[in-house]
Amino acid sequence: MKSVVTTVVTAADAAGRFPSQNDLEAVQGNIQRAAARLEAAEKLAAGLDKVTREAGDACFNKYAYLKQPGEAGDSQVKVDKCYRDLGHYLRLINYCLVVGGTGPLDEWGIAGAREVYRSLGLPTGPYVEALIYTRDRACSPRDMSPQALNEYKSYLDYLINALS
Amino acid sequence: MLDAFSRSVVSADAKTAPVGGSDLVGLRSYVQNGNKRLDAVNAITSNASCIVSDAVTGMICENTGLIQAGGNCYPNRRMAACLRDGEIVLRYISYALLAGDASVLDDRCLNGLKETYIALGVPTQSAARAVAIMKAAATALIGETNSPASGGKRFRKMDTTQGDCSALVAEAGAYFDRVIGAVS
Repeated sequence: MKSVVTTVVTAADAAGRFPSQNDLEAVQGNIQRAAARLEAAEKLAAGLDKVTREAGDACFNKYAYLKQPGEAGDSQVKVDKCYRDLGHYLRLINYCLVVGGTGPLDEWGIAGAREVYRSLGLPTGPYVEALIYTRDRACSPRDMSPQALNEYKSYLDYLINALS
Repeated sequence: MLDAFSRSVVSADAKTAPVGGSDLVGLRSYVQNGNKRLDAVNAITSNASCIVSDAVTGMICENTGLIQAGGNCYPNRRMAACLRDGEIVLRYISYALLAGDASVLDDRCLNGLKETYIALGVPTQSAARAVAIMKAAATALIGETNSPASGGKRFRKMDTTQGDCSALVAEAGAYFDRVIGAVS
């Protein structure tokens, strides 16, 4: 799992040397930003179901045709799966906030997503719409502190770019 | 390879649950004690060659047969291999201590180590003893509990801020014990 610490350790191991001062400084920099990340992760975990619900509602409100026959959300089962997927994405963002890197999103969310969506005939546009809504909906200090919000939104943006 | 953070993520993913609330307590303490941890890693890396050579010397002093003809540290070539292995083990322990998780030590160092030693005819008992001496030296350096009496000519005390680092001493000790458990 890619994170600052594992990257540093992998590099040191490849060179066969002990962690150097540079490595320790890199980890120290990561730790300094960690408080904001963990705050965002905690707040997101606490409100995960609500955020998912709002994101899905926003997407189906904007693209109402998705619920018409033959579209991606023409049965309740399919609609539920859209909400489930959004929940998964937000959970992965929670993981990224914990790890302090995009590793969880890359490995479990984005790798292969394009192929899966294409083979299932699913549009990614509505996911992007739901995530953009989620990003713009979050605000400080109502939801979390400004620095935490910044971390949270940067991972949302990363996912939006990957799906766009 | 995992660190303390990705370890909690992997176990949360197995339950498809987000990481929140109580899971974050341990991670917050990692963050809070971050500087202590870096000092602990530094205590090991700065004294690496001393820790390793002292451990191998101690191991041989307790069992001088190792450097007599036919012993496993005779001739110099095999003694050098022994010092090299000691340094490798200590290096992976320093990685594990930095990451706050033993996965790097397990995956890259301990996996198959015992089988390799048995195949090469390395006495695992002596290897475990050398690691035990490294543990004593490293934990004394991290916790600053070493004394001139036990350090002798090469006594060294790290110049770090005084504080309670018992948790880190215990964690580092656990990684050494993991190595001892894996080879014996």
